[in-house]
Amino acid sequence: MMRRLARFNVVVALFPISVLGQVTVEGRVELPKSHSAPVVAKRYEIVTHGGVLSTQPPLAVVYLEGSFPKPASPPTRQIVQQDLAFIPPLLPVQVGTRVEFPNLDDTYHSIFSYSPTKRFDLGRYRPEERPIPSVVFDKPGLVTLRCDIHEHMRGLILVLNSPHFVMTDADGRFRLRGLPPGHYTLNAWIDSKTTHERPVELKKGETLQVDFQ
Amino acid sequence: MISASRPNKRRVTRFRTKLLAAMMLVVSGLMAFALYFAQRHVTAAAQRDLQQNFQAELFSLDKVQELRNAALAERCGTLASRPRIHAALEDNALDLLYPSAKDELRDLMEDEGSLHTGPSLHAKFYRFLDAAGAVLSPPNPKDVGQLSHRVETQLILKKLPETQQIGYIRENADAADEIVDEVVAAPIFSTETGDVISALVVGFEPFELIGKGAGSGTKSGIWLNDQLHMPSLSKSAQAALGSEIAKAVTNSASAQSNFTVTVNGAPQLLFYKRLNPNSLFPPAYEICLYPLADSMAELHRLRWRIGGAGALLLLGGFVASHLVAARLAVPVEKLELDSEKNRAQRKRAETALASTSEKLKRSTRYSADASHQLKSPVTVLRAGLEGLLTRDDFKPEIYEELSALLHHTHRLTGVIDDLLLLSRVDAGHLQIDSQPVNLSQIIEEWLDDLGALPDSPEVKIEKKFPADLCIAGEKRYTSLIVQNLLENARKYNRPDGLIRVTAARNGGEVVLTIGNTGHPIARDAQEHVFERFHRGGTGSHISGHGLGLNLARELARLHDGDLRLVRSEDDWTEFEARFLIAAQTSDGATQTT
Repeated sequence: MMRRLARFNVVVALFPISVLGQVTVEGRVELPKSHSAPVVAKRYEIVTHGGVLSTQPPLAVVYLEGSFPKPASPPTRQIVQQDLAFIPPLLPVQVGTRVEFPNLDDTYHSIFSYSPTKRFDLGRYRPEERPIPSVVFDKPGLVTLRCDIHEHMRGLILVLNSPHFVMTDADGRFRLRGLPPGHYTLNAWIDSKTTHERPVELKKGETLQVDFQ
Repeated sequence: MISASRPNKRRVTRFRTKLLAAMMLVVSGLMAFALYFAQRHVTAAAQRDLQQNFQAELFSLDKVQELRNAALAERCGTLASRPRIHAALEDNALDLLYPSAKDELRDLMEDEGSLHTGPSLHAKFYRFLDAAGAVLSPPNPKDVGQLSHRVETQLILKKLPETQQIGYIRENADAADEIVDEVVAAPIFSTETGDVISALVVGFEPFELIGKGAGSGTKSGIWLNDQLHMPSLSKSAQAALGSEIAKAVTNSASAQSNFTVTVNGAPQLLFYKRLNPNSLFPPAYEICLYPLADSMAELHRLRWRIGGAGALLLLGGFVASHLVAARLAVPVEKLELDSEKNRAQRKRAETALASTSEKLKRSTRYSADASHQLKSPVTVLRAGLEGLLTRDDFKPEIYEELSALLHHTHRLTGVIDDLLLLSRVDAGHLQIDSQPVNLSQIIEEWLDDLGALPDSPEVKIEKKFPADLCIAGEKRYTSLIVQNLLENARKYNRPDGLIRVTAARNGGEVVLTIGNTGHPIARDAQEHVFERFHRGGTGSHISGHGLGLNLARELARLHDGDLRLVRSEDDWTEFEARFLIAAQTSDGATQTT
């Protein structure tokens, strides 16, 4: 699982480089202490503490805030339901992204969201369901995914205005490449209630070091 | 006698009065006791019965409530675990809360009318409370039971409850059709954090407390916010009673109690019990009014019964005391009468005794005096006659005459001696100096003397007794007895007759019988034979003075023995004398017993 998540991170991180990126921001986000002891091979999941949703073990999403043009062809991403869990549990996407929810379990799932960002209800469906049920997220914000059948299942989709975002590794380290120069705000989303902001000035060809503490 | 019976009557009446008064006192005391205890018992029993009734009703109510609350808690637990409810509450989609819950709680609300047989588990309405305890307004109130704003505000809690809370609210307050609803607020816990994230408040129709078992006239209601809700009473009565309950509730620390009130002029026992202890909702009390008319009537009846029984008892007591007094008085009266009689009789007897004793004394003295007075002239006479007999100058026939006269003086001396002895016996002066006396020897001596007596007919003598037969007595007197009997046996015998003398021991006695032939004593004279100067009418030709047998018997009796005539018929007369036997001591000496 960790490996899969890492590979996924790499994919996300590499993507902007192909798009004429010159500036790189790297650094480390101080992640909150894990509430439970870190366990090898423990899979990531979404937990709630006092109404605050976060990943467990903690991860952060670092993204550049600003006005960026919408992509011409909205990308399609996937959150699969496997072993009665959403994988990945936390998915940052750009506004307009279509997210597919393939069911890889041998049972029904019924994905829905009551989040103000996006309310939807895909209803009950089996793995054979085609086309794969999907939702386009057209508003920035946090979406909590739930399954009406399996009450413990939680997933988060962080819908962002920006195409420049990356997930930290388990230590909180991140690297954003191919950023356009200019004045922006660099954000580090830690949980549903906590997003750290940092104004940055990106200069062409530079590599900026930003640590969130 | 008549004058004596009057105070007796008075005394008897007084006795009766006292007896009656005592009985009345006892009966009244008993009645007072009975009344006191009966009253206490009846009051306590009524109170206990009603209390038990109330407790039983409340118990069943509690049970049903418990059941419903458990069902509701389960419902809330299930509900809280529903992802959509969570989603609505946690994802800030409260507008979707009621629609999401609608399916889950559908059966809670539906079918109001059809299941009205038992206590209803169907809700009239439900509302969710938000994290602050405020009511979340439903988008479509029709689905969740419509409530006015005023009623809805009664559902608000200061904070979300950790446990189920029972409360009571008023609908249509102050209106004629005011009703009280029971609400149960059940917390909804987050399945993830365990925190209370909301509460479900469900409104029910309150259970009817008064079941079928309760007596007629029993009323139940709910006291809430200083106001009583008891639709069967008028508004004013409710208000009055409500303030009384408020007083009792504030004064008493306990959650339940009872007191007596007067409602519409009738005494009632009022029970109250906190329906929702430790609730975040305002305190509510179950109120039950039990009319005391029944127990009062019962008490009244019992009073009459005890009074009647007491009166009967008193009447019975009166009659009984009368009878008893009469029964008791009879012997008392009789005793009075008898003692009167006895006193008179005693007086008479005493007088008679005194006179008799006087007479006796006089006669005893007389015979003693007479004997002494007679003795000396007889002695002088005898001496004179003996003197004359010594002379030799008289004619021979004179000597014969003188001898006869001398013989008569001898007889006279004997009579006088006997009289003297008898007078001593009569006066009680004769003391027997008891010694062992050889009876056999005495008999032998006297038998020897018999032959020596002049002008005695020839008789044959049979004797049969052991030698040395000893009796207890004084020799001169026992000898006198034997002499008397033997002389009589010879005197009244016929020529060629027989005298039989037998003596033998018989137990502690010696029995001496002396029988003789001859003319028997006349049958009608036999019973007088021991009287003084009685000579049996056998023949005046036989010498004797009629004192011998009398003296012999007196002497025998003085010896603790007796003398009696055994028979006198067919030429045979037999006397029997009894004496005590002399005791033989071990050293050979004899002693009297």
